Amino acid sequence: MELLDRYLQAVQFWLPKEQKQDIIAELSEDLRSQIEEKEAELGRKLAESELEAILQRCGSPLAVASRYLPRRYLIGPTLFPLYRFVLGILLLGVVVPRSVAWIAFQILDPADQSYLNMGNMLDTVIYFAFFTTLAFAIIQWTGVQLHVLNYWNPRKLPPAKNPNRIPLFNSSFETGAAVIFNTWFIQVLWPRPVIEIFTAKIMLAPLWQVFFWAFVLLNSLNLALSAANLFRPYWSQSRAFVRLLLDLAGGSVFCLLLKAHLLRGISVPSLSESKAEVLTSTINSLMGKALPGAVIMLVVLFLIGCFRLQRVWKTDRSNGPIAPGVAGITSSMVTGNS
Amino acid sequence: MSPSTDNAERFENLRLELRRGCLSLAVLSQLKTERYGYTLRKALNDQGMEIDEGTLYPLLRRLESHGLLTSEWREEEKRNKRFYRLTPDGKQILKQLAAEWQSINKSLNGIL
Repeated sequence: MELLDRYLQAVQFWLPKEQKQDIIAELSEDLRSQIEEKEAELGRKLAESELEAILQRCGSPLAVASRYLPRRYLIGPTLFPLYRFVLGILLLGVVVPRSVAWIAFQILDPADQSYLNMGNMLDTVIYFAFFTTLAFAIIQWTGVQLHVLNYWNPRKLPPAKNPNRIPLFNSSFETGAAVIFNTWFIQVLWPRPVIEIFTAKIMLAPLWQVFFWAFVLLNSLNLALSAANLFRPYWSQSRAFVRLLLDLAGGSVFCLLLKAHLLRGISVPSLSESKAEVLTSTINSLMGKALPGAVIMLVVLFLIGCFRLQRVWKTDRSNGPIAPGVAGITSSMVTGNS
Repeated sequence: MSPSTDNAERFENLRLELRRGCLSLAVLSQLKTERYGYTLRKALNDQGMEIDEGTLYPLLRRLESHGLLTSEWREEEKRNKRFYRLTPDGKQILKQLAAEWQSINKSLNGIL
């Protein structure tokens, strides 16, 4: 019976102190009854392997003990989706921007490591995860009534969204902004030896002409796309692809512009020649330093464009050309489609 | 894992879930007369309601903590055993649960 005593001792280890004796006495009685019955059936003492089989069937000591314990959660099933959501947002907010910035600096200025210290990235992530988990564990433990879980009203829920629908406001704003920008851009920055803005005279390198026409072309294409979105307010694969290409091209031209050192001189009546020279070189230098930020924006735009494209592609594959969104989900529930 | 193993596993999980809900009723019904754990388990097993010790004893404790059962340790055949029986509340709940079971059973028979 040594094996039985060892088993009971192992179960006892995990039990609450005040119930240990009682539970073990009852479990022991049951197991001894099983053993006696088996021995009576066989007409002999049980071999160790037979006793082992009985204990194996009963379950591991931890599993057996756990059934006597009240069900406890660090974060319960009701709170868990909210916890996962908050944790995801926090981690994304830490990991993605820092990683993108780090990659940009590695590509553009690998010699200078002073901008970002990626060594403490893991520490930061662990701190975020730890304190988020701790906060939710406290909410679970204290039983705080969360407003979002307990006091809700179906009427106050956000309207059902179709992720592929382009809001009218966005298309109108983009169209208006593109018209205003193009008009201003062509009127003010038309390539010529000296560009005058109010009292300031700006001298740009001849290369400006190339950038100028590139911007005019891209902005006109953006205008056409926004106008098309006004009349066809759902993303199609082709328009999502064009938007991705335009964002990439626009961002790339802008990055090249920052590196091009186009500004040759500035002349302002109230500024001495020497100070104007300093201002010119400062602006060129600042534009160069803004390059990593512009590259990050370019990567973000690229990722957003890819995400949009794959979402439209997936929706088209499953539901036809126009995305049904939540409305589609409910209608497919009614018709029995999955 | 093959699809048939997947299905067997799914069936087993659903089967256990289905039986779990019936166990309290089965246990309460068997404790109209006083029994100790092992004989209770045997009685249930003999009637096709298999239940292992790891499930039965925690369930008995829960039912006792809800005031549906009462228990006492007594010596029988030179060994201490814990005997359980229904309390008046337990008898009342058993009646209600049995009626509920009949109703569910009738509905399900109609549905199936």
